[in-house]
Amino acid sequence: MAYHPRATPNFRNLVVRPMWITLRAGLRTIPVIGPRFFSSGYHGKQAQMLDDETINRIGDNDSGDIIYAADRETSHFVKSISRPVTIMYPYERLEDLEPWLFVPNNYNGRIGVVWETCTACKACVRACPNDCLHMESEVRVNVLDMPDAPEDDAGLSSVEFAEGGYLARKNDDFEEIENTFSLETAHESAPQQYDFAEIIDLSGTTASVRWTDSGKTESVDLEGMIPAEQDIVSGRIDLGRCMFCGLCMESCPFNSFFMTNEYDGMSGLTRDDLWMDAARTRVLPVVHKEAVDRELAKRADKERAKRERAAKKASKEA
Amino acid sequence: MAADDWFDVRGAVAWVTEQTMDKTIGMTRFWEQKYWLSEFSAEFAMAGIIFVVTMLAVLGPVWMERKLIARLMDHRGSTIAIRSLWTGEGNIRVEWWKDLPFGIGVPIGWINGFLWNNFGNESSNPKVTQVGNRSYAGWWWALPGMINNFADFTKFAIKEHMPPRDADQVTYEVAPFIIISTTLLVFAFIPYGPSLYAANPDLSLVYMMAIFGIAPLGVFFAGWASNNKYTLIGGMRSAAQLTAYEIPLLVTVLGIAVLSGTLNIIEIAEFQMNNTLGSVWNIFLMPLGAALFLITMIAEVERTPFDMPEAEAELVEGWWTEYGGMRWGLLFASEYLRALAACLLFSLFFLGGWEFPFEDSLIALPLVGGIFGALFQVVPHSAWLLMKAWLVFGFFIWVRASLHRVRTDQILEFGWRYLLPLSVIQLGLSIWLRLGVYDGGPWPLVVPALITVVAVVLFVVLVLDEDEEALAEQRRPYHVSEINKASPGARINLED
Repeated sequence: MAYHPRATPNFRNLVVRPMWITLRAGLRTIPVIGPRFFSSGYHGKQAQMLDDETINRIGDNDSGDIIYAADRETSHFVKSISRPVTIMYPYERLEDLEPWLFVPNNYNGRIGVVWETCTACKACVRACPNDCLHMESEVRVNVLDMPDAPEDDAGLSSVEFAEGGYLARKNDDFEEIENTFSLETAHESAPQQYDFAEIIDLSGTTASVRWTDSGKTESVDLEGMIPAEQDIVSGRIDLGRCMFCGLCMESCPFNSFFMTNEYDGMSGLTRDDLWMDAARTRVLPVVHKEAVDRELAKRADKERAKRERAAKKASKEA
Repeated sequence: MAADDWFDVRGAVAWVTEQTMDKTIGMTRFWEQKYWLSEFSAEFAMAGIIFVVTMLAVLGPVWMERKLIARLMDHRGSTIAIRSLWTGEGNIRVEWWKDLPFGIGVPIGWINGFLWNNFGNESSNPKVTQVGNRSYAGWWWALPGMINNFADFTKFAIKEHMPPRDADQVTYEVAPFIIISTTLLVFAFIPYGPSLYAANPDLSLVYMMAIFGIAPLGVFFAGWASNNKYTLIGGMRSAAQLTAYEIPLLVTVLGIAVLSGTLNIIEIAEFQMNNTLGSVWNIFLMPLGAALFLITMIAEVERTPFDMPEAEAELVEGWWTEYGGMRWGLLFASEYLRALAACLLFSLFFLGGWEFPFEDSLIALPLVGGIFGALFQVVPHSAWLLMKAWLVFGFFIWVRASLHRVRTDQILEFGWRYLLPLSVIQLGLSIWLRLGVYDGGPWPLVVPALITVVAVVLFVVLVLDEDEEALAEQRRPYHVSEINKASPGARINLED
């Protein structure tokens, strides 16, 4: 059981550390030795409330020249005795001044998504009661990642035919589009060059598929078919609607969706700022590395078991 | 030595009553009655003096509580807003004196103008506009915040007495008086100094601890009689907690009595400062006992982290809930009186009573010894005891500002499973020290030094208990929580 470092229940963390912290807070207010030896770097200093960007934004404002500072003096007679005051977030931070008030692990804070292991199953989107999750995905052929691409190319041949996966077939007018369509002159996106189908059953070189456009089920030969995959086009979160219930995290079957315990970086000056795109929901690699590794290992195990089962089946048939 | 300084209150009172009786009843034919009459009136006067001294001494903790807690918890202190008369609240300065009739406000305006100019909200830095200072920040020498105690008293005294309709009326009225009277009786046996005490029976320690243990009964009565679920829970918790902590407390006190060879509080104090007896403070001889006494006393006076009976967040002040007005005020006062008694007892039992730290050694110093000698002649020894008690109360506040309230089962488990065995061990150590080491004279210096070093080393070892897993966790920028899914259809991870 991994505890938060400051919540590990031992004598040091339960008794000695909090008592030292409060003692330091008290000693900090003593005139000479307090600021020198017990200061955390924030106390007794006037915060520069306006940064350059804000000054540019508000322009030539009269109040721009005035420093608004909380009165840190206890006494007008002994001015050097400083007084603890309310902290000035975001110029001062609560974790720095009152470290015992750490944010607990299970606090539902900013949303974090491990996009590497997300499969675009949209369980989170369906679970969200406030409709604040938006995810668009499409089935497409990854032209950089084809099975017949050379090994030293970007393609690692990861896309293969699999039950539940997708395949694509070139359209009749594939060549015509390829020859006539020009990005330089076109005002709209290229017309669809492929027909896509969901693979229902896979046996040898034939597969029974359901075509996406027509909805017909058909048995086709895999020769000439191209594997396709479902990719996330955009995953955005309207944080202005979010109530941080965490149902999305609970619904995720791949442990890819998290509520981090961060309370920062969720504000903005307009409503559009509250639309968090994939870059803002991405959790840091150091944090999600373990989760990604675990999820990938799980999938590798599943894949291995599947292959063993297939091999056993094949040997039994033989 | 400490016992005879000029601050001989008992002697002075006895002399005054004796002279008074000589000059009045001694002149009459009832002169034979003057002996017991003077003794009686001297004791009566001493009881009154101790009462007044106690009430003045308890103002110290009450004042320290709100001043220190603000510093330690890094918040604004609760202080009096007299200054808001001329600075206003926040940035709004209301010139209220202008509304007064008949021009009474004109001189008030002058005064406020003077005060605004001198003690207003302006900073010496012309670029800084101070955010309004809403707390009193001026007359530090007048102990700001102290007057609030008298204001509180006035408020409590004039509030209406409203017992709950369905309360057990007799018990409800009797309970606070049980608590308050026993609390005051405790101070009858606590000496404030070598000659500043109300009563000194031979077994004052036994009397004192017995009376100290009656108040929980009153608390239980109060909780039961108020006919309220919160007070009942509070009373029950109080009964459970105080029973659990009374026993280690008494065993520890027994250890002190064994070490000092007496059941008299004054003799226990003198054992620590008398050159011909022990002359080593008990805290150096039994640091474990000092820790046990401090912890159990914090629990006995129901202060954080053991303030479970009056847990204001969950129990709405617990067993106090239905009390208001002067009864609540007196209960509040008795709580601080009990805390003060605990501090005084800790100072008497462990911190050498009314002796200044290393008093004899300081006097014996070659050059500055004379200065110290003069200091100890001028300052009455009762002052040192009071300062020690306030210092210990400062520790109480420090603990309150730092530690969380402990859960019910944890409190009881801590009391029964850890404190009780430790106190028995401490009793055994005390017996061994008394029978095996003590030879009737001063302690050999190696004994307290060795015990103190061992205690400090044990403490440091306990503090340096590292959690490697938690340290590894600490290196992450922030934490991503993992949940155990309980929803239907959730994947069950069999590996975990």
